[in-house]
Amino acid sequence: MTTAKIEKLERLIEATATARDAKTGSLWRQSIRRMRRSPMAICGAVIVALFVIVAVLGPWIAPYEASAQTWGKEVFLNRNIFPGPRPENWFGLDHLGRDMFSRMIVGARQTLLVGVVATLIGFLAGAFIGGIAAAAGTFGGRWGERLEAVIMRSVDVALAIPMLLLALSVAALLGPSLSTVMIAVGVAQIPIFARLLRGSMLAQAHSDYVLAAIALGVPKARIVVSHILPNSLGPVIVQATLVLATAIIEAAALSYLGLGNPDPGNPEWGTMLADAQRFLSGAPQLAIYPAVAIIVTALGFTLLGEAMRESLDPRLRRQE
Amino acid sequence: MSTEPQAPEDAEPQVPDEPAPAAEPLLEVEDLEVHFPIRRGIVVERVVGHVRAVDGVGLSVDAGGTYGLVGESGCGKTTFGRAVLRLEEPTAGRVRLGGDEVTALKGERLRRFRSRMQMVFQDPLGSLNPRHNVDMLLAEPLKVHGIGSKEERRKLAVETLDAVGLPKSVMERYPHEFSGGQRQRLGIARALMLRPDLIVCDEPVSALDVSIQAQVMNLLEELQGEFGLTYLVIAHDLAVVRHLSDRVGVMYLGKLVEEADSEAIYENPRHPYTKALLSAVPQPNPEIEATRERIILKGDLPSPANPPSGCRFRTRCPWAEDVCAEVEPEWRETAAGHKVACHFDL
Amino acid sequence: MALLEVEDLRVAFGAATAVDGVSFAVDEGKVVGLVGESGCGKSVTSLAIMGLLPKGKGRKARAAKSRNGKVPAQAEATGPEGTGPEGAAGDGAVPPGHGGAVAATPQGIAVGRRSNRGGADVSGRAAFDGVDLLTLPPAAMRRRRGADLAMVFQDPLSSLNPVVPVGRQITEVLERHRGLKGDKAVKEAANLLDRVGIPDPLRRLKEYPHQLSGGMRQRVLIAIAVACAPRLLIADEPTTALDVTIQAQILELLKDLVDSEGTALLMITHDLGVVAGICDEVNVLYSGRVVESAPVRDLFARPTHPYTVGLLGSIPRLDLGTHEPLTPIRGSIADVIRWKDGCAFAPRCDRVAPACVEGEPALVGAPHAHRCVMAEEIA
Repeated sequence: MTTAKIEKLERLIEATATARDAKTGSLWRQSIRRMRRSPMAICGAVIVALFVIVAVLGPWIAPYEASAQTWGKEVFLNRNIFPGPRPENWFGLDHLGRDMFSRMIVGARQTLLVGVVATLIGFLAGAFIGGIAAAAGTFGGRWGERLEAVIMRSVDVALAIPMLLLALSVAALLGPSLSTVMIAVGVAQIPIFARLLRGSMLAQAHSDYVLAAIALGVPKARIVVSHILPNSLGPVIVQATLVLATAIIEAAALSYLGLGNPDPGNPEWGTMLADAQRFLSGAPQLAIYPAVAIIVTALGFTLLGEAMRESLDPRLRRQE
Repeated sequence: MSTEPQAPEDAEPQVPDEPAPAAEPLLEVEDLEVHFPIRRGIVVERVVGHVRAVDGVGLSVDAGGTYGLVGESGCGKTTFGRAVLRLEEPTAGRVRLGGDEVTALKGERLRRFRSRMQMVFQDPLGSLNPRHNVDMLLAEPLKVHGIGSKEERRKLAVETLDAVGLPKSVMERYPHEFSGGQRQRLGIARALMLRPDLIVCDEPVSALDVSIQAQVMNLLEELQGEFGLTYLVIAHDLAVVRHLSDRVGVMYLGKLVEEADSEAIYENPRHPYTKALLSAVPQPNPEIEATRERIILKGDLPSPANPPSGCRFRTRCPWAEDVCAEVEPEWRETAAGHKVACHFDL
Repeated sequence: MALLEVEDLRVAFGAATAVDGVSFAVDEGKVVGLVGESGCGKSVTSLAIMGLLPKGKGRKARAAKSRNGKVPAQAEATGPEGTGPEGAAGDGAVPPGHGGAVAATPQGIAVGRRSNRGGADVSGRAAFDGVDLLTLPPAAMRRRRGADLAMVFQDPLSSLNPVVPVGRQITEVLERHRGLKGDKAVKEAANLLDRVGIPDPLRRLKEYPHQLSGGMRQRVLIAIAVACAPRLLIADEPTTALDVTIQAQILELLKDLVDSEGTALLMITHDLGVVAGICDEVNVLYSGRVVESAPVRDLFARPTHPYTVGLLGSIPRLDLGTHEPLTPIRGSIADVIRWKDGCAFAPRCDRVAPACVEGEPALVGAPHAHRCVMAEEIA
């Protein structure tokens, strides 16, 4: 008596269903889809992409050798004569008569390297410490809880030390060099990552699907690695993007304080800023170029990180 | 203060005397207690008391039967269900499943044993790992128990999906791509993958829409026959429990207050709390609603950290007398298979 | 004339239509129910009446066109990103999924951001005492909210300000709308708590929301809602988060308010048991439209729309035997078609016929109205 095939109905159902099927794929893929619609994400991604391209291709696209003091005779330090932007030198010359534009382009690579390596150090070490703490606290029984407490109190202590001070002491210990800056900035980030991952993992550890995994008899190590960890990484990855921005600024700050790479052939934006300081009154442009570059790059990573945070936000995810 | 000896537990040896001699009890719980310590102090933590979430509950469930545990939030029913599965550590008492003592198991043996007892959760989305697709969700239980090859696991997954009414085309999809009812079907399928003897269903339908609840309840009933399952259904909704269960226990503040066959408890509730619960359920029938006498209970649930003396229900009981504050009522059998913890025959 | 007359109310979030032409009326001293499952538009309806939806871009016709210019088949119930009726566009009122988007501030109620997809486009009419609430300027609406109309929400914890004692939250309403000051306001607040059945009100006034039980909090919210003797009270799943024994207390309290004060009550719920107990008239919603509307006894005695019939058949009842199979509705609430193509319920309906997908079904009959072209044949 009932459902004699109603073709029209089937067509209509199909039409609605195809409209709905847009929301398929894993959560990562969904986040990326959401990000593609966000102007903030696009802005950030464009800036970051541009920065990375310049950093990678730097030496090949720079019009001149970065360390060549080709126009040394045209610069008169004592009379504050720094030839400004002109057809052959778009950003003008620095105090040693080198092409600023080329130095900026080549400097991007060092800056990126410092940012990425420093963040990686912080991320890996921090995630390792935080992950161990969370895993021990959740599944390690009484001794695990104690281990977690010890780790996390140490992290708290580390957090209480001002980041720049910590970075400065590391740098002072190792002497000025590029790796000093990277390690210093990276080490300063470790406690932040440790805390973040631990918090995120603990939140996941109390979720129903972890309980379900225990009930199914999934071994503890596997629960941590294949259930808790993948679901805890979202906020940490967001933080990593944001830290990249901070790391670049901090690396610049350390270089500015003279702890950076002393090699003039390998320019770095922070060092350039430090060098330009002496001529600030006569040639402010020398400081402005690297400063703006640092700010824009940091902004790019920040925008991207914020957009990622929004697209990974579990509250928004729930609604779909 | 971890254990509190309880007098009325000599009821336990009587269990074999109950009617239905054919059915063997699959699950036997004796005097189960789950007390959570309340810790205070910043530097040195000390225990200042216990939340007696479950405070001496004993029951048995026949193989192939359904036991419904009903009570309001905070009565300890969820903790009880989890303690039975050893997802919460019982502080005292024993749980036996098919003769094996669950409470004595440890480490790897406990993990192995888990394949015989499973759980269905209230929140179908929250209980499924959002980053695992259906294939991974269903294969994992088999994998961790070392069952089958990849192909065999997949075949079993497809069979199980079919049993819960999902097509095999969903294998590559993720939990968030399903509707609430489908997610609960997935949760049930995962619990079935290991072909367990016992499934604890903790509020299996309360997160679902009305029209979907019925689908899932019917499914649970079908699967019980098909896979020979024994259920412990935990719910706050009396109608749901009434519908699914052969035997019903009513919990209040960590203890059972009444237990009887499903028909009997609804036809003839003996404990004042059961009466009040039954009278409070709004029924989808305006005629009944207009004429029905409600027993409106005063006040709220007391704290399980500090339960009232004597009968725990006395602070809200309309019939409470002095004796209720002084003496804890015995867990007694008033009719065949009908047990109640009340001083009076109401 | 009824106190509240809602006519052809439509609410769209971007391209997703949540409420698709809802009309009903609430008389003084009456309880009218809006019943439906998650995503049917019942909560959005109430928020629209209260003026609590974030404002849209004001393009009312927007719902008709898909945002990114794709085929219009993708518009309405499913947004461009496939916001199913279960999703953001819906009312999100299923108990556990409810993120608590709505929070009451002391002077009234404010809505948090529902999603980052912008506001709602509301059209139609919601006449309160002859004044259309939908076109009222925000300031005038604010004055009415709390004074003439008030709302009680599902989640009493997130609706109260956690860092302010409940007493202050009540006196603030009294100060704002009734001009009571100091001791007078406190005294009145204690009176209100007493009236909603909270023992020892003077002590409770000093407590914070987290110190109260769920039932107590809901009582406090009701006390705030009735502080200014509103003529219309909207209760959105007021008992869903509560236990049955507490639910019975709260329903009793609401019933009492209606009987003694002549307050009109708009009851939004998914629970047909609650409806049977408290409502005088019922509107059953499905996919943003009323599919059946009738006096309560009529509806339960002679349910006409197959959806209503299905809902009633789905409910486990105390008076049914153990293991008696229920008769559920097949499919899920995501299985809908657009109303203008036919009956949105058709994909799940057991009695579906070719006539069901020949254009929009109309709501016919009074006082027992239904939106089913096959009603005659089925009956």
